[in-house]
Amino acid sequence: MSEVDMAVIKPEMMKSYVWLQTTDGSIQQVEQEVAMFCPFICHEVLQKGMGSSKSYAICLPQRVNPAMLSLVLDYCRFHQVPGRSNKERKSFDEKFIRMDTKRLCELTSAADSLQLKPLVDLTSRALARIIEGKTPEEIREIFHLPDDLTEEEKLEPLKNTTDDPRIRLLNRLYAKKRKELREREKLKIVEAEEERVDDRSVDELLSFINGGNGDSKVLKTSKNKKKRRRRKDQQKNASHSEVAETDERESNGLHPMCHDTELDDEFRPSSSGASKLQDGEDDIFAPKVEFDDVDDEIDPALKEKIDREVEDFARRLNSVWPERMQELLSFGQERRPVHFAVNGNGTLRRCGSAEQK
Amino acid sequence: MEDLKAGDCISDLPESIIETILTLLPIRDAVRTCILSSKWRYRWTTLPDLVFDDRCLSMYNDGKLEQHSFIKFVTRVLLLHQGPINKFQLATSFWQCYPDIDQWVLFLSRGDIKELILELGEGKWYKVPARLFNCNKLTQLELIRCELDPPPAFKGFSWLKGLSLHQVSIAPEAIESLISSCPLLERLLLSYFDSLSLNVRAANLKFLYLEGEFRDICLEHTPLLVTVSVAMYMTDDNTEYFEQSSSCSFIKFLGGVPHLERLTGQIDFTKYLSIGDYQGIRPITFSYLKVIELYEVSFEDTKEMLVVLRLITNSPHLKEIQISGSSNAAAITEAPNLDFWATIFPKDCTFRHLKVVKMTDMSGVPHEMEFIKFLLASSPVLEMMSIALSLYVRDRRLSMLIELLQFRRASAQAAIFFMQD
Repeated sequence: MSEVDMAVIKPEMMKSYVWLQTTDGSIQQVEQEVAMFCPFICHEVLQKGMGSSKSYAICLPQRVNPAMLSLVLDYCRFHQVPGRSNKERKSFDEKFIRMDTKRLCELTSAADSLQLKPLVDLTSRALARIIEGKTPEEIREIFHLPDDLTEEEKLEPLKNTTDDPRIRLLNRLYAKKRKELREREKLKIVEAEEERVDDRSVDELLSFINGGNGDSKVLKTSKNKKKRRRRKDQQKNASHSEVAETDERESNGLHPMCHDTELDDEFRPSSSGASKLQDGEDDIFAPKVEFDDVDDEIDPALKEKIDREVEDFARRLNSVWPERMQELLSFGQERRPVHFAVNGNGTLRRCGSAEQK
Repeated sequence: MEDLKAGDCISDLPESIIETILTLLPIRDAVRTCILSSKWRYRWTTLPDLVFDDRCLSMYNDGKLEQHSFIKFVTRVLLLHQGPINKFQLATSFWQCYPDIDQWVLFLSRGDIKELILELGEGKWYKVPARLFNCNKLTQLELIRCELDPPPAFKGFSWLKGLSLHQVSIAPEAIESLISSCPLLERLLLSYFDSLSLNVRAANLKFLYLEGEFRDICLEHTPLLVTVSVAMYMTDDNTEYFEQSSSCSFIKFLGGVPHLERLTGQIDFTKYLSIGDYQGIRPITFSYLKVIELYEVSFEDTKEMLVVLRLITNSPHLKEIQISGSSNAAAITEAPNLDFWATIFPKDCTFRHLKVVKMTDMSGVPHEMEFIKFLLASSPVLEMMSIALSLYVRDRRLSMLIELLQFRRASAQAAIFFMQD
């Protein structure tokens, strides 16, 4: 062939292709410089000598389906050209990333299996942007996540930092909601807001109404004290949250216990307009508000509380939350059954009964 | 099966990607993912980097309550966290409750924290607890508005690569020994110091940023230094001190940095460098110096000009110069000693690699014009020169332009941009 012919033919011959096979069996050829932009393919070609012909096509990882492959190759085709400015690349990326979230996830997965880090970073950032600032319901809807946590688990005491009076109130409501749940499931568990005043007289009254015998009345006075203390203990044990931590801090002698209580006192009275807020954020976890109420208990109880708290905290650190729940439930079984009544302001109140069931 | 396929695809992404995504989220959002579904319950707990900044705060500006809930949030996150914590950053603009930070530092010091950034608010400065010095795996330490008091027995952070102290109250000897006791230190930033006499001994230091009223800076042992940026204020006290000293600051500062690639000097830096007696000292060559940026250079001050000339003529590979002037427009009226001025410019100097020159805050003073003339005539590969006038001398624009046109250009490609404001 003459030189001229060679010059004409040469560019065509120079362009080499890499053969790729996806999991569904389809094989395609891709320009070499585009395909080699992916480290996975590069490795296969250089280290194993694959991809040079149809019969030696490179088998791509399972997570790369043909649709994703074509997207990845589009990305590679653009970015492998060296002459592009940063601005061009950025603008391409922004347009490229516009796709529905399902495809975005699949693309992330595909890019990761092909070890194409720049694309993984790009898609990860896009996914983070989608998640940021949304409520859990919205996120679940976008990503089709199963809502498979129990109410208990959702109301775990991981407090949101937006903490204004309305939200504190909402937390109280959630605490009550949880109480009701427990009550429904296991009647023997005791967790209630404690009425500091007039407990005894009401107890007496109700036990009378409920038909308790004369003996129980006599026993009641001493038992009430024990109950109160045990109630506190149980409430303490059930707490994963502020009380635990403040107590822990206190046992280190660093943080005054009263601090919590002062703040809670400020917000105690607000109880109106609660129903409107029930549609509010699901993601605010109840900080076990009733324990905040307990916090401003009488001082003698404090010391004992701290001691128990330190023990419990150590135990808790070693246990997983579901196990803790179990522990809670089983602890409750030792207690006596209690009847509940509703107070004038809508809070639950425990009416003690001496009856053993 | 179809439903499953159309369903959740994000939860099954590899752990490393989930971690990346969670790290990109503000920590509040990341922690909230624990109630999304059972797979997401504990994912946030292994995040290695925890950043608590103003994004964690609510929109309701209720000072005390907000702070209280913030403290609780941070404490809770720390308690519920599992696995190693590599980075802990606290950046809030308000702070009054210091005992909590003490606890957090205590907690972190028990682990292997690598990066610690504490940026605290105005008001009484926080005294960093001594536990900090037990964090011997630290690679980055950044403190803003704190009080630091290293214990006398402190041997240094053996892995520390980056140290940044901004508005930190620390004894001068403590700083010097802190710097020299960190063998791997590569980046050092000291900002907002008053009247500090600094002696830097750091064998691996590559990047140095200094800002403040330094009395004296001596780079005693910094052989690997690549980038230096100094914003130095000289008060009247300092000036007196300098007048009494005879040592040459130029040598003290630039005598031991053979690998320097980038030098930035602001405010009174050139003035500082001009102090002392340079005569009879063997010239130093900055073989790697590529970019020189000097701001607020007083062109009428012969000594400062000598410093500038010394720098640029001893940098054979210089590519870019950026100079801003601070000449007093009133000085123009004085009859300059131009004959003497012309002599200080070396006659046969060539800047073989100089491509970009940016002059800003020019006043059109004869000294400045002579300098520009010198550069134009000595730069055969110059591509761009931009000149921006200071705001106060607009009326001199035309005469400056006329003068500029007369200057010979050694480079055929040189384009001069006269900036209009």
